[in-house]
Amino acid sequence: MNGIVSERHGDLQLIKLEGEVDLSWSGRVRDAILAALDNASVGVDLGQVSYIDSSGIAALVEGLQTARDSGRRFVLLATSAPVLAVLELARLDRVFTLLPDLAAARAAEAG
Amino acid sequence: MSATAADLLAHAAAGDDARAFVLLAELSEALAVSLDLRRTLPFALQRIADYMEAEAASLFLLDEDAGVLECKVCIGPVDLRGLRLASDQGIVGRSLTDKSVIIVADAEQDPRVYKRVDERTGFITRSLVCVPLTTAKGTLGVLELINKRNGDPFDAIDAGILRLLAAPTAMAISNARLANELVEQQRLKREFDLARRLQKLLLPKRRRAGFPLLAVNLPAHEISGDFYDYFDLPDGRIGFVIGDVAGKGLDAALLMTRAASLLRWAGKDGLPPGAWLRRANEELCQTTHGGRFVCAAVGYYTRTSGEVVMAGAGFPPALLYQTGLCTEYRSDGPPLGIVVGQEFHEVRLRLGDGALYFFSDGATDVRKGDGRLGQDGMRALIERYAGAAPEARLRMMVSELRQLRLVDDTTLLLLEETHARPPVVLLQQSFPAEAERLRGMRAELRRVLDSAGVPADLRDRLVLAVDEACCNIIRHAYAGGSGDIVLSLHRDGDVLEFELRDDAPGVDPERVTPRDLAECRAGGLGVNFIDALMDGWRLQPRAGGVGNVLRMWKRCPAAEETA
Repeated sequence: MNGIVSERHGDLQLIKLEGEVDLSWSGRVRDAILAALDNASVGVDLGQVSYIDSSGIAALVEGLQTARDSGRRFVLLATSAPVLAVLELARLDRVFTLLPDLAAARAAEAG
Repeated sequence: MSATAADLLAHAAAGDDARAFVLLAELSEALAVSLDLRRTLPFALQRIADYMEAEAASLFLLDEDAGVLECKVCIGPVDLRGLRLASDQGIVGRSLTDKSVIIVADAEQDPRVYKRVDERTGFITRSLVCVPLTTAKGTLGVLELINKRNGDPFDAIDAGILRLLAAPTAMAISNARLANELVEQQRLKREFDLARRLQKLLLPKRRRAGFPLLAVNLPAHEISGDFYDYFDLPDGRIGFVIGDVAGKGLDAALLMTRAASLLRWAGKDGLPPGAWLRRANEELCQTTHGGRFVCAAVGYYTRTSGEVVMAGAGFPPALLYQTGLCTEYRSDGPPLGIVVGQEFHEVRLRLGDGALYFFSDGATDVRKGDGRLGQDGMRALIERYAGAAPEARLRMMVSELRQLRLVDDTTLLLLEETHARPPVVLLQQSFPAEAERLRGMRAELRRVLDSAGVPADLRDRLVLAVDEACCNIIRHAYAGGSGDIVLSLHRDGDVLEFELRDDAPGVDPERVTPRDLAECRAGGLGVNFIDALMDGWRLQPRAGGVGNVLRMWKRCPAAEETA
């Protein structure tokens, strides 16, 4: 089923999503992302996301914009094939920073 | 000066008798209960003449078209019925045009009085009074009294009482006319209904799936001047006809029935299209007059060779849509029923997997904004729905034409080789329009698409498009309200057709447009996804103002063909 886990890793708040991000809970995903961005840069782990719709994509876009406005980083981690397909469809695959995993994100944050 | 109604009533009540009231009541009742003026008007006029102690009385009605007053009812020694006066002639005419009560105390000395009748009959008109018969819709005619029996001239009191008595008379005439008009309208409606039913019987029945011809006729009015036909010949060819009679209304419809049967008869003889039109033209020239004529296109299709041979008579060019291109096929013979001995050139083409469209000029005349749809508009319409299965395509084209303004009868005929298989229903399910239901819907749709042999990557994209469409219905159509979504999926040949119905308030399709993708912002992406994932889609409000239908289609050859 769907799940959101938020953990702190140094300077980075990691939000792990699991399941199908659709209209029924994309609002909660958005809230979690925006809350995390209050205190830190954010990485969203999409490795366990089997489906995402445009409302889920919209939550990610809003996260990216909020981070940009507040000078924080916002990256997507371990983007699964279904999520990547939808990002490509929306021509957003080159707008987001896509990283393979948490280590790469922390390395980028440190660098 | 004429007295007011109140003065008159006071006078009558205070006078030697109250008979004026009795008469008024009696007249009103008699005139109100019967619409048969031939019976009630002579009765009313007799009672008025008796009461007013007049030697003669007559009632003139205005024939507005002719501008003439005609005497319809007459009491007294001289029968004036049928007497016609110009509407401004004599005292009667003046009373009508001035809408005023006129008293003539000494008729012999008054030059305004029409004297011809007296001269001819020996009757002597001494005094007269005229009042107009007035209703809200205007003046219908004039009531005239001649000569008081006691020899006195008519006075203002007489004129006033006559004016009072004229009111129910005028109303009765007006009511009877309205009643007649209503009866006439109902008779015409019955005739039109019959004509429409007969016309429908002339059109061929829809064939079972797999027949290569489909047609639809949209009458702009009750009855249509357009027609179409198709039939099988013993040698295997299929004949088709589409036609359009110039003009509207009943006589255009009658010419249409004649043209339709002539063209069918000539076509069933298997004549080449040029000779077919030539024969119909000779026949129609003998019987078509008054500026009427018939435009038509006729032809044969041979399924085994895929060849079409056709000829046109004043009909808009046919459009062949094939591999993404529209080609125009003109056949410029003249319309039928004007000049005998005309030639009609034949055009040949190979249908292949193309779609050949014929449409009456009602289609190109459809009003779009300030202009007309035109030939280019029809091309755009054909291209827009090219990916949809034939039945659905024609339905959507018609529905779009209906939303624009039809000014003329519109008929579309489509010739296209279809797969012999009828459309198959793969899924039909109804669920509440709630975000929590979408997961289940997607799972079911994935299962159905898997068992239909749709490849996994295409399956996921189709599921996303349907999900986005449902999200839009939940968020924008129901917008917080509750209701159901009915999802159905059909396969029609190579095309998968998704249909989503809702019962939400009607959505304006013009306002549902994809946003600019170059602009990076949250929201509004759903329509882009549908645009990108499907071959085409169309949102239409359902008839009656409640509910919407979204149709989306995607070409996806069936598994056994791709294998």
